[in-house]
Amino acid sequence: MAKQFKSLHPIKFYRDYLNQNVRPDGRLLSKFRPVIVNTGSIATADGSALVRIGKTTVICGIKAELAQPKAEKPKEGFLICNVDLPPLCSSKFRPGPPSDLAQVTTRFVADLILNSGCIHLRDLCILKEKLVWCLYADLICLDYDGCLIDACLLALLTALKTVKLPSVDYDVAIDKKVVNEDEKKSILIYNTPVSTTYAIFEDKIITDPTAEEEDLSSGLITIVVKEKELCSVHKPGGSPISEEKLYDCIQETIKRADLLNTLINTAISEQTH
Amino acid sequence: MKKPLISVPGQRLCLSDKTHESGHGTYERQGYIYSSLAGIVDVIDKNGVKVVEVQSIGEQTLVPVQGDIVTAQVTILTQEFCKCIIRREDVRATDKDRVQIYKNFRPGDVILARVLPITEAHTYNLSTAENELGVVIAHSEHGYPMVPISWTQMQCTKTYVKESRKVAKVVPENMNQKTEAQEDTT
Amino acid sequence: MPNDNRRINGPENTLSYRLFSNSNPHSNVQKKIKDIFKNNTRPSERNFSEQRKIFLKCGVVSQAKGSAYFEVDNTKVIVSVYDPREIPKKTDYSLKGELYCVFKFAPFSCPTRRGYQQDAEEKQNSAILKRALESAVCRHKFPNFQVDVYVLVLENDGSALSAAITAAGVALAQAGIPMYDTITAATLGVQGSHKIVDPNLEEETLCNVAVYKNEGEKKYESHGIIILSMLSTHEQVSELYQTGNLSLDTINAAINILSKATKEIVPLVEKCLVNHVTKNLKTDVED
Repeated sequence: MAKQFKSLHPIKFYRDYLNQNVRPDGRLLSKFRPVIVNTGSIATADGSALVRIGKTTVICGIKAELAQPKAEKPKEGFLICNVDLPPLCSSKFRPGPPSDLAQVTTRFVADLILNSGCIHLRDLCILKEKLVWCLYADLICLDYDGCLIDACLLALLTALKTVKLPSVDYDVAIDKKVVNEDEKKSILIYNTPVSTTYAIFEDKIITDPTAEEEDLSSGLITIVVKEKELCSVHKPGGSPISEEKLYDCIQETIKRADLLNTLINTAISEQTH
Repeated sequence: MKKPLISVPGQRLCLSDKTHESGHGTYERQGYIYSSLAGIVDVIDKNGVKVVEVQSIGEQTLVPVQGDIVTAQVTILTQEFCKCIIRREDVRATDKDRVQIYKNFRPGDVILARVLPITEAHTYNLSTAENELGVVIAHSEHGYPMVPISWTQMQCTKTYVKESRKVAKVVPENMNQKTEAQEDTT
Repeated sequence: MPNDNRRINGPENTLSYRLFSNSNPHSNVQKKIKDIFKNNTRPSERNFSEQRKIFLKCGVVSQAKGSAYFEVDNTKVIVSVYDPREIPKKTDYSLKGELYCVFKFAPFSCPTRRGYQQDAEEKQNSAILKRALESAVCRHKFPNFQVDVYVLVLENDGSALSAAITAAGVALAQAGIPMYDTITAATLGVQGSHKIVDPNLEEETLCNVAVYKNEGEKKYESHGIIILSMLSTHEQVSELYQTGNLSLDTINAAINILSKATKEIVPLVEKCLVNHVTKNLKTDVED
């Protein structure tokens, strides 16, 4: 019977739950879903991570290739990240070119990585003006159940930390490259931006919403922090949020960032041991 | 409770003879009844003939066929017909009705209807030309739920404004059973 | 390459560093093939008819009607299936429902990076997958509708297509799509007189290379890949796909080996589905 009521009056159904300060999945309004981080699951990639936030699953594989740097930035390598939402992960997406959501998320994640300074593109330089690394980071959503940006960022950062690049000897005179795969080195990650998404439903703030909750809500807000400081706030339209509530959300995000950082580090140390 | 018998697709269930008949979720081939679903085997006695059925787990995969009663939500209204979304299925349906359509349905209404014979691909013709069929859930112009007061009128619970609808004759308590039995051919 | 402005594109020419590796695997293919013949062992050190251990799980994608994850060594395949929906851009009436299959390699799934759009191989595999599954599904049960089957290979370590067929069969059954039978598939690599069951990626490449029978003689040894999918109860072959250059005798022998190999997977598929039913039965009772 609950099922029929839900499909006929989804908003009313949800409001009745929230009035009791509980959500349909049994969580309190400010409760997070469990997070699982797994690294090195893809052997064909140079760095990889699988992240689950509740049921949302995102896999990130990074492939390193050799390229010539841009003439205007001769000392900088490339980090190309793309978020893919295949029709596999939810019935919302249809086969074909990337959906609007995929494009928006790709742009947001790519900008954030460059602006936060967590990776210096100069570190990817092998020989000035001649040869640099190009890291292709592909994020694929395998199960879409809300908080896509959170899962993507977490997967990308974890994967970046597991990347190991071989050493390259480049002889400019005869244009000969020799890659030594036995000597592999990690790249430097200077900070770890992590995010938390909140949904606005009427006058309430809902932490870590599922896909269903995202659809019903009147607005979403994603807060990104790095090492206890605010990095970015992403609020694509929707209903307004008061200053105090925004402040509360930021504090909450900072608190959770510690936990996520520990998770990433544990996952990485488990892989190396 | 009796331990349920689980089957997987392609599993041979029994001989197909005068006393055993293939039912939902099964098929017959070369004198045997096979399962076509992963689920639970059910044997139903029907006038001395045992009908073998397999019920799948979770939400069933159903496609509306002629004669089924479906719940649908009205989405678009024109002079001639209204377009509906049949619940739970990604199907568009068209309801052709020569009577004044505005007096019978409004967008957002949830209706019970019977599927008519399919005449063109991709559209289902629905009919509410039965006492038990018609609008079951509706909201007034102001957005408040309405209750039926006669078979052609419903009243808003807040503003007491009366609006006309083709009301289905359902006792509210029975409504949920109706929705559940939406795919039954009665 | 056409400019794709819906994604972030990298620089124009990038090359895999493996091409310049000091331990280049491409150079010694001929030597490895000779090793197989001389020592009578596979590069993966398995018996020639031995399959790798399979991990199979269904119900992995919460948003899908049915889904399955198939892992055999490093080959990782995920499949999801959705409810029947109307066939887009189609006006005529069809008595039988359609299967819409998409087979895709993740960009990072192979030694060399894959593109975002389906390439010829992926399109070919989608078509094989569709043909293999069509005869297993009761398509008359959903006339005028299509069922979507999406396959994503997360990592390819050989035999990815047969893994996809088996996994798709499980996902379809879990989704409650009526099926005539469970479907399983297996791959066989052939190089000369050696028949390699369930080849890994390295063995697959070795089987795709033509070798002269004798030095100087312009005659090739039998070589290639054969994929066979089978409906287990009715013992019907739903798809047979072959590449390379094989003699008729080899194909006959291969079908025998492969039908045996597909039978070995059947209990696993059945167990996976029964587990799914029992698990959900319990939650149904609790509700």
